[in-house]
Amino acid sequence: MTDKVLQMRLGITALLAAIILLVYGIPNWVSAPSNVPKIVLSPLFWPEVLAWLTGLAGLGLILFSWRDKGVATEDRDPAAPDSGARGRSGDTPRHAYLRLAAMAVLMIVMMWLMPRLGMVWTAMIGFLVTALLMQPRIPISTLVAAIAVPLVLYAFFAHVAGVAIPQGQFVRLP
Amino acid sequence: MKLNAFKTAVACAAALVTGTAALAEYPDRPINMIIPYGAGGATDISARTIAEPLGDAVGQALVMTNVTGAGGATGSVVVQNAAPDGYSMLFARVGSHSVSPAMKATLPYTLDDFRFVAVYEINPVACVVAEGSDIKSMEDLIAKANEGGVSYSSSGVGSMLHLAGAMVLNAFGIENPLEVATHIPQRGGGAAATAVLNGTATFVCTNTSALASFVANKQLRPLMVTTDEPVPGFDAPTAASLGHPELNQLVGWTGLAGPKDLGDDVAAKWGEWMATAVADETFLKSMEERGSVIRLMSPEETGEFIEGQYNTFRALVDKLGMRVEG
Amino acid sequence: MSFLDSLMAGLALVGNVEAFLALGIGVAIGVVGGAIPGMSATMAVALTLPFTFTMTPITGILLLLGVYKGGIFGGSIPAILIKTPGTPASSATVLDGYPMAEKGEAGRALGMALWASCTADLISNLALILFAGWLASFALSFRPPEFFTLILFSLTIIAGVSGNSLLRGALSALLGLLLATVGLDLIYGTNRFTFGDPNLMGGLNFIAVLIGLFAIPEILSMVWNPGAHDGQARSLGKNWVTFADYRKSFKSIVRGSMIGVFLGSIPGIGAAPSAFLSYSEARRKSPDRDNFGKGEVEGVAAAEAGNNGVAGATLIPLLALGVPGDVITAIIVGAFMIHGLQPGPMMFVMNVDIIYGLFIGLIVSSVFLFLVGSVAIRGFRLVADIPRAVLFPAVLILCVYGVYAVNNNLFDVGVMFAMGWVGFMMARYDVPAAPFLIAFILGPLLEDNFRQAMLMSGGSPAILFSSPITWFFWALTGITVAAIIRAGLRAARGETLPGLPAKPVQTSED
Repeated sequence: MTDKVLQMRLGITALLAAIILLVYGIPNWVSAPSNVPKIVLSPLFWPEVLAWLTGLAGLGLILFSWRDKGVATEDRDPAAPDSGARGRSGDTPRHAYLRLAAMAVLMIVMMWLMPRLGMVWTAMIGFLVTALLMQPRIPISTLVAAIAVPLVLYAFFAHVAGVAIPQGQFVRLP
Repeated sequence: MKLNAFKTAVACAAALVTGTAALAEYPDRPINMIIPYGAGGATDISARTIAEPLGDAVGQALVMTNVTGAGGATGSVVVQNAAPDGYSMLFARVGSHSVSPAMKATLPYTLDDFRFVAVYEINPVACVVAEGSDIKSMEDLIAKANEGGVSYSSSGVGSMLHLAGAMVLNAFGIENPLEVATHIPQRGGGAAATAVLNGTATFVCTNTSALASFVANKQLRPLMVTTDEPVPGFDAPTAASLGHPELNQLVGWTGLAGPKDLGDDVAAKWGEWMATAVADETFLKSMEERGSVIRLMSPEETGEFIEGQYNTFRALVDKLGMRVEG
Repeated sequence: MSFLDSLMAGLALVGNVEAFLALGIGVAIGVVGGAIPGMSATMAVALTLPFTFTMTPITGILLLLGVYKGGIFGGSIPAILIKTPGTPASSATVLDGYPMAEKGEAGRALGMALWASCTADLISNLALILFAGWLASFALSFRPPEFFTLILFSLTIIAGVSGNSLLRGALSALLGLLLATVGLDLIYGTNRFTFGDPNLMGGLNFIAVLIGLFAIPEILSMVWNPGAHDGQARSLGKNWVTFADYRKSFKSIVRGSMIGVFLGSIPGIGAAPSAFLSYSEARRKSPDRDNFGKGEVEGVAAAEAGNNGVAGATLIPLLALGVPGDVITAIIVGAFMIHGLQPGPMMFVMNVDIIYGLFIGLIVSSVFLFLVGSVAIRGFRLVADIPRAVLFPAVLILCVYGVYAVNNNLFDVGVMFAMGWVGFMMARYDVPAAPFLIAFILGPLLEDNFRQAMLMSGGSPAILFSSPITWFFWALTGITVAAIIRAGLRAARGETLPGLPAKPVQTSED
């Protein structure tokens, strides 16, 4: 993919976002009192100005990508790992996508677990899974870090900084 | 089979953990005290000052937790949704628990979502103008307001300062304060005082503690205070002496609340602990130095007081059409 | 009392071991606190406050000031080492500091950050002592119309940090401005993009957005492509900042300090915009501008000078007017009040010994910052040697704890995760993150002040041109925008850079 295509995609996305905001988003999700004396004072004014500007920026991006002769700088797909830098053998874009998806799932699971299991235990799981996604095997040092880091951080934040770190419903730490 | 045994063991362990928690005497672990406003503000200072004697009375650590945002609503919602086990308590404040409920239709909670256990501090309110202003008394202010061009600052929509400006003007005979005076909201109480100082707004009505240093430094001039007694350091008449005792309702306060299903025994315990805490010498001294009036109300009295203030404010809001819908 | 008498009275107050000890301990607490993302200087000051109640006023206040100064510098340490600004003020330091660390020059970047911080701190303190009265009178002439024009001008910084495409920079800024509208409307209190969720009513937490935008994408791209960094040296080595580096950046440091002093003396702006403004000015003026954003030591110097220049200057409105400029100084006002002191013009009459004691302590604090900072760098730089597969998960966990601690709200952790994906996508599509952040900080200020000005004038735009200060900033904005457009046109006429009219000061990737 060339810079031109990338630019075009960005421009189209921005233009679409602006249209959606102006037609649907702002009327539905921004409420304004009925008796606003001046249009510039309305809560709608600023978001609308921003939406118009976003549309203009999108148009600009599309126009420039058109005018551009399409000098192919580097053939690259922003949605694929940089081909040259891939160090590990057998690592295909599919694997990369899977790892990213796993990371997204991990984040959602962490959000769900934190109030239930407590932040410390969730953090240990998060640490291990993230480390596992970065290297296929977990050396013992990583395992130690996965247990120690959340505990040390808990000790610091809860007992030195006096923050109420979520404890969860099962095992509470002192 | 093996798996089932494991499951049973986990279930037993879980039951044991929760079971012991239920059996033990309340409180058996640190209590989370939510402050719905930021560090350094009136609520925060008040809460942290009482935390020390209160913690001694409770016999457990009190974890002071600031959860700020949306004029106190974000922190209040945390306690509204918390388990009513007495381990999450809220420092309720005039803004979040009587003005906002009266003014905002969109507020995610109502007064019924909380069980109030105490009000322990009353803050007199003063109305001030800049020292350089030609307004010398409430009379001048009202005359000026009738000419037009008067504005007042506040720490945001639904704050006590917002309502106070309109309420004071209305009490002094201005029928439509919203049209006569312009409300210029600021972000935070400090900014509201600064706005009067630099001429953005004509006057502001807020807690005397937020104004004391400006008044002492002769940068702001007090016009009126809303308590029965004059406030030391504020050379201004009381609202009652100006013939408006109804403005005595307009005071700031800090109190303590739990979720609505908080048990009677827990509420009673907090009542006792608060009584011990407010008797503390150091606490009394440092609060009074800052211009607060320490007055502890029992759980019943607290409910009546807040309800009364809410009803006054609500009636005014409806009369003036100040309610925020949408 | 003459100046000399006041000075002696001040010296008598601080001339004891406790005062200096408090200052030193304060700086140390601040550096460590600032170095922990999410902890931030604000929280470190708030946590230290209760310990000052039992001290003498001057010792207690010096302790807090030490924490404040240490915290602002401490924020640069994680910004350079793990791309996670410890305080919002150090976000500009990331732009060149992290690339330097990637090149194995973490030691040099940290050293430069320290030198620039101490120099800026000293300049800022001197400005406080010499110009407090004069600058304070200035601070009160900033009302909403003046603020509006100042912030409008500050938004032109975006052009300087947009990378090689102005339009993409603008797009990034617009996204930041749009996200900043989430929350309750300031003037009417109505909902904007809150979807009825109480957590959104307070708006998106700034630190959650900041960390999400900078730190999380780094972790995501490591997951995406774990091999990318293989075989890349990242240890500190023997790389240390040289005097030649310092001399080369000296002009930028002084300029940054001045910007910091000016913006710091106006309440309500804060250190982050100052750091960005200093950075973009340095980039505009530097002969090495092509290297900015790729690990230029002068960029680190400019950013750190910009944010530390604010630290002394925020005390100008505090001491001279009693007006706190940001959250930290608001807490320090609390400390004054607890000791029965009321900051403001009367303090220069009533407690002149304390004022001069503070001045002396502040000057000394720059020296302490240098000493404590040198030690801290030696300790923290070991972080650069931790293997990535351990470091990155640890950073993720640290960010979770830190972002939670800012407002004790799990929702903010979710905001951080979500912004991480936004940041990741932006990086993949070559949309720079810095304009987003500047817009996110300045957007609400711009809108608020615009609408407050409109309230003041009853809707007449004439108020935006009503004072010499507004004319000054309109002129400045006009000149800057003209320069940006001219540069853009020249680039478009000349050799077509891939895609867009890039400013000649900017470079293309290849």
